[in-house]
Amino acid sequence: MTIQSGTPEAPLAPLGDTSSGVGSPMLVDQRSLAPRRDQSNELVRSVGPVVRVAYGWISKHFAAVLLGMILVAIIATFKQGGLDLMGQQLRNALVLGAIYALVAIGYTMVYGIIELINFAHGDVFAAAGFYAVFIASTFHLDSLATGSFGGLILALIIVFPLSMLGAGITGVVIEFVAYRRLRDSPRLAPLITAIGVSFLIEGIMLVIEGPDNVATNQADWITGTAFTIGGVSVAWTDIFVVGMALFLMFALGEFVRRTRLGKAMRSTAQDRTAALLCGININRTISATFFIGSALAAAAAVIYSINYGDLKWNLGFHLGIIAFTAAVLGGIGNIVGAGVGGFIIGLIYVFGGSIFGGEWSESLIFAVLVLILTFRPVGLFGVEVTTRA
Amino acid sequence: MLERFLSLFRIDTGKRERNQGTTVFWIIAGTASALLLMGWLLPWFVNDYSAGVGYSAQDALVSSPTGIGTFCIYIMAVAMIMLVVSPIAEAIARARGRAFGKRADRIRFIAALVGLALTAVVWFLVSVIQEEPLFGSFTAGTYTDSAVWLTMYGFAMAALAYGARDWVVARQSVAFGVAALPFGIFLPLMFHQAPDFLLWAAGSLAIYMLLALGLNVVVGFAGLLDLGYAAFFAIGGYACASFASPIHNIHLPLWVLIFLGAAVASMFGAVLGAPTLRLRGDYLAIVTLGFGEIIPDLATNNVFNLTGGANGISGIDQPHYGALDFSTSPRWYYWSLLIVSILVIIFLRNIERSRVGRAWVALREDEVAAAATGINTTTTKLLAFAIGASVSGLAGAFYGSIVSIVSPDDFSFSVSIAVLSIVVLGGIGNIVGVILGSFILTFVIFWVLPNMNEWTTTLSTTVHVPALAGIDFSSYTFIIYGLALIAMMLLRPGGLLPSRARRIELESGEESESLAAVQGVA
Amino acid sequence: MPLLELDSVTKRFGGLLAVSNVSFNLDSGEILSMIGPNGAGKTTAFNCVTGLFAISSGAIRFDGSSIAGLAPHRITKLGIARTFQNIRLFAYMTAVDNVMVGAHWWMKERVWDGAFRTARARREEKSVEQRALELLELLGLSRYAGSYAREMPYGLQRRLEIARALATQPRLLLLDEPAAGLNTQEKRELMQLIGVLRSEGLTILLIEHDMRLVMEVSDRIVVLDHGEKIAEGSPVDVRQNPRVIEAYLGTGATEVITSA
Repeated sequence: MTIQSGTPEAPLAPLGDTSSGVGSPMLVDQRSLAPRRDQSNELVRSVGPVVRVAYGWISKHFAAVLLGMILVAIIATFKQGGLDLMGQQLRNALVLGAIYALVAIGYTMVYGIIELINFAHGDVFAAAGFYAVFIASTFHLDSLATGSFGGLILALIIVFPLSMLGAGITGVVIEFVAYRRLRDSPRLAPLITAIGVSFLIEGIMLVIEGPDNVATNQADWITGTAFTIGGVSVAWTDIFVVGMALFLMFALGEFVRRTRLGKAMRSTAQDRTAALLCGININRTISATFFIGSALAAAAAVIYSINYGDLKWNLGFHLGIIAFTAAVLGGIGNIVGAGVGGFIIGLIYVFGGSIFGGEWSESLIFAVLVLILTFRPVGLFGVEVTTRA
Repeated sequence: MLERFLSLFRIDTGKRERNQGTTVFWIIAGTASALLLMGWLLPWFVNDYSAGVGYSAQDALVSSPTGIGTFCIYIMAVAMIMLVVSPIAEAIARARGRAFGKRADRIRFIAALVGLALTAVVWFLVSVIQEEPLFGSFTAGTYTDSAVWLTMYGFAMAALAYGARDWVVARQSVAFGVAALPFGIFLPLMFHQAPDFLLWAAGSLAIYMLLALGLNVVVGFAGLLDLGYAAFFAIGGYACASFASPIHNIHLPLWVLIFLGAAVASMFGAVLGAPTLRLRGDYLAIVTLGFGEIIPDLATNNVFNLTGGANGISGIDQPHYGALDFSTSPRWYYWSLLIVSILVIIFLRNIERSRVGRAWVALREDEVAAAATGINTTTTKLLAFAIGASVSGLAGAFYGSIVSIVSPDDFSFSVSIAVLSIVVLGGIGNIVGVILGSFILTFVIFWVLPNMNEWTTTLSTTVHVPALAGIDFSSYTFIIYGLALIAMMLLRPGGLLPSRARRIELESGEESESLAAVQGVA
Repeated sequence: MPLLELDSVTKRFGGLLAVSNVSFNLDSGEILSMIGPNGAGKTTAFNCVTGLFAISSGAIRFDGSSIAGLAPHRITKLGIARTFQNIRLFAYMTAVDNVMVGAHWWMKERVWDGAFRTARARREEKSVEQRALELLELLGLSRYAGSYAREMPYGLQRRLEIARALATQPRLLLLDEPAAGLNTQEKRELMQLIGVLRSEGLTILLIEHDMRLVMEVSDRIVVLDHGEKIAEGSPVDVRQNPRVIEAYLGTGATEVITSA
């Protein structure tokens, strides 16, 4: 049979009758019609299912495996140094976890709403720490805070909102300048920009603050031991850190759940186009998300500087990755998950360090990061989603 | 003219080269001007004022003619000025919507040829025959070899640009190669008085160029964002250090080490790539970042007592074959790296246009369709990781040998980002672009910035502004990487020399979901 | 022995039964159409056959051996090629390159052949390119050989997808709504093309909404609704099947139509 006609721009070539010419070109390669065997490697064929089953098992029970391993580490620590060591480490883990949790929330909120790993978030954290130092020295807060309890409260009331405001504005500016125009680009573009912003902020801090650790006076703000259980002494700073973190997380949770803006955020995160059609101002919502995320990071930074007493230009880089790990662990986009993830990461960091040695803590977290993303990218509490082809 | 001659040598770059544009032409013309300017000014910088009439073009111009030599320099200087000023004039004219005609090109081509010939003549008279009377008296330092080389090269490039403009525009990549390659080969001769410059060229430039070429395979060809690329660099470096240093008392020759470094790194590339196969783009980035942090951490913590801890491994062998002593002259490293780079470029270019290269593009464009069309997504991605890593490992082996010490700090995240910046700056997915990017960025980061400190210190003492001396420009590298990445992504996502398809891709904002997402396993 | 067998294939997405207990056979050289309302599970069934989805239960056999659980590229190697409902071409590759990707799996060129551009590699590249150009020529696309896939008119993109599928040397071709978005003229050409493919020995499984086309080209028709097979048979049988009419037009429609 023959096809004579065609669209004027692309006429089909006349196709020869199959019976007529062996030599004439055909659409179907006749040799290919013969039966064929699966030529894949024997080894691959036998190993493949085993790997698949193992992968499936691990990804299904990832949470149990991870928590089990943490439990084992805690017990091992108990064996190593008794109840005291275990208690101290638990305290350390909680304090660290609180900070990670606050930073992780920023990652998770931004990812939830625009699907971008905001690499600059960790650096906003570090920058906010320097803001706090600047604010403290401008308003002479150090003497105020160390003078009396009332003075301390006043100093905290000054330093927290101001540095949160500063960091929030920083976050909003970053979003406006660097990310907004790339919102509809392929993921690679804003991701690379985010790395660029991160390096830019780090570079600026390096130039201004120098390459070494910068000691802050905030370490002296809160002193003294609150109470001692057995051999574990809990300092007032520890209570302050965890309490403040929990308070902020609770406040955020209520905010997102109850306010109009919170609802706008949640709907924008679910479906930006639909939210837009419902009359939500997407740009303002996203800016607000950046503001809140950065403000929380700033709170974490103030807490950090009060607790640890020093800052560094590249502090935000590793801390950022660790906090991001926490966000992924809790299921990215899930604010409560990020909070919980932060504390879990705190546990892994501290107890992993006590077992393998502190120099391995960070590698351990990175390994956990790789493992989660490989085996359970939806996080410990997430549900798998399928997109249709 | 030159065009007709060049067309005799039709270098086949494949019919699919479609990126036509004038970028390379302007690069060549601009570089020619810059080289002429540098050649002209160099004698003044290198020496104090040359007394009387010397070789320097500007000396000749400010003095009365004393002989045929000075006359030659007069003409040369006219040609020079014409070639330096005219591209600027042309650019301005172009911006105003007017164009220079063919005739202007022909005149400049002739000027370039005349200049080239006269430079050779003058150089011959001055240095070989020592024809002092022709020039008036000149002191020992009135001319430098580098100045002559730069001038001659500038003229030659101008001749190429104006004599074969259409050819340059039509065959960008080849033209770029034709223009850059001789410079690369002759660089050690041009700057034989400046070993530091050479060492810089051999060390930072070539190493970073290799790294960027390798990363380009992963990011550019296969579309997988790898933020831990320095890990493979580290593996290559440590492989070299382990097998060519006193630490394990093994001493293998460098050429073995290059292959070893490449092989070990590509193995790691495939192994570390395996868990990332199902991941989405941004998760893949962060996992590779994790690997990029773990590998130097392992080295710092002296894993299995193999890596020498935070201090690294020192005393790495530098090859020594009779007169070819790599430890005394940087030019041997320079030339070997040049050869290796050229080979790598050719290989990568071939692979890009082969069956595998096509599969990478298909995978990048639409993973689901690629799988349904018979491409094994697993092996194809792993191959990208392995090939990218092998280039990195090769660079690492060279790096270890050149600096003779490797330590974990050499392979930090900032190295990965530096390499990424080069790729992004030059043009994701375009080999020529990546080469250009590595020239620009390494020149700024590893030559301009470190020297800036020195220059500003000198400046501050001469103009009595002590504040200038205090600025540490080397700490500005992070800012430069950051700005490069942001600016490129916002203003020109395809890079300076974009590969056409990639540019539209990055600007259009269409993206297809991954195979794993469709299959519901990620 | 049938070329393709679906044996009580079920695909579940969480609680949703996308394909439920569907069985049918496809003989060599046959053209079988799958029809059904939107969301009936036709494309899901396609994705199960081509390995994009793992089936929840049941069996899929191609040429006698099970292909359930195989990776998509291995199923392609066995001889099943497909097109997509929402065209999935490699948008920024030229038409020739798109077709040449189809030849990827059976090309013998290895990485090193490519890197060194050996004589063998060049020879093979050349012959594959010849074949690709030939396919484009036969499908009337040679004018667009050098243009990017996305620059081509919509109807021709559909044809290019078929060219790419043919380059994989299939024994069975799965066409997912190949007539969607085509004008009458293009539909007529598509029908002729399907006829030619059949006459050249290809077996075809077709999803299509255009009933005229389906009725004209199909040997048999399988009707899906809500993931279940509700009818199977010759075009004439299916057209008169009350359950089919009901699925398409809703309950009560049968009376209207039969009484009319």
